[in-house]
Amino acid sequence: MPLVRKSTAAVDAPPADVEELKTALASSRPDERWQAARALIDMPGGIALLGAGLATEADIRVREVIFSGIARTATPEGAALLLQLLRSEDASLRSGALDALAAMPADMLAGRLPELLYDEDPDVRLLACELARGMPSEDATQLMADLLERESEPNVCAATMDVLAEIGGPQALPVLQRSAERFASSPFLAFAIEIAVKRIKTTLDSGR
Amino acid sequence: MADVTGKRILVVDDASLIRLYYRQALEAAGFTVEEALNGLEAIEKLLLEPVDLVIVDVNMPRMDGMTFLKTLRRQGSPIVAIPALVTSTEAAPQDLDAARAAGANFYLVKPLAQDVLVQYVRLMCGISA
Repeated sequence: MPLVRKSTAAVDAPPADVEELKTALASSRPDERWQAARALIDMPGGIALLGAGLATEADIRVREVIFSGIARTATPEGAALLLQLLRSEDASLRSGALDALAAMPADMLAGRLPELLYDEDPDVRLLACELARGMPSEDATQLMADLLERESEPNVCAATMDVLAEIGGPQALPVLQRSAERFASSPFLAFAIEIAVKRIKTTLDSGR
Repeated sequence: MADVTGKRILVVDDASLIRLYYRQALEAAGFTVEEALNGLEAIEKLLLEPVDLVIVDVNMPRMDGMTFLKTLRRQGSPIVAIPALVTSTEAAPQDLDAARAAGANFYLVKPLAQDVLVQYVRLMCGISA
């Protein structure tokens, strides 16, 4: 039997007016909020409405469509909203924002990253290290090495080491070696430095 | 010392150095260690083969630790009761409360010494010293 596609236009089409979409975004039905979120992404003023909606949105599917839409449209307004969400108390919002930022074109973040790595909140500096992972190796190495040199928060240092262990270049070696003395009393950081140095040297040797 | 043979631990963390550090400590203590890079991958692994304990980070891509715990606890299968130890950089009281509400059994703040990790894992696996 041939597949007959039922007409869904009348059932599924979201309202086209921004005010109606705003109302739909506050609906008690997740499907309605999902449709409204999808439609709002490309509308003028939509990002601001979605940002406000995210604060109270509990449905994972609706959150996902908002984050993926913001990442897809990759506007400065969307990036600013995501950067603000890195400070959220909600782990799911932080992670969603981080994923969406990582999915945006690297040049959208390149200018903001140094500022994030100097943020007064260590949690923001730590999450910013994850964004550096998506940058070209030489740039990421420089940013991570600079941060490691000045950083005192152990978990932020650990995040820089994790990035350096994965994509770090040889210019990070002197900083890592100096850090080994600084963190000799921390078993995990001493371990992390040792592995990062080993991996960078292995990459260097295999490239020769 | 009690036997840990056959006890399997799933480490869920996006940081490769953390996973390696935990693996090294736990394997040296006799545990079998599995790894997942985020909550989604962890759920997939657990549905295929449950473990005795999950060690989970909070901030992870694709599915964070809190969402993972909430998902774990609402599954209608044997994995709903797997004990979960959260290890996180987040140290504020509200972070501990959020983890407990999501289904964590215990919460430790990173960075951890290997002997502390092993001590808590043994306790949570019901292994006396």
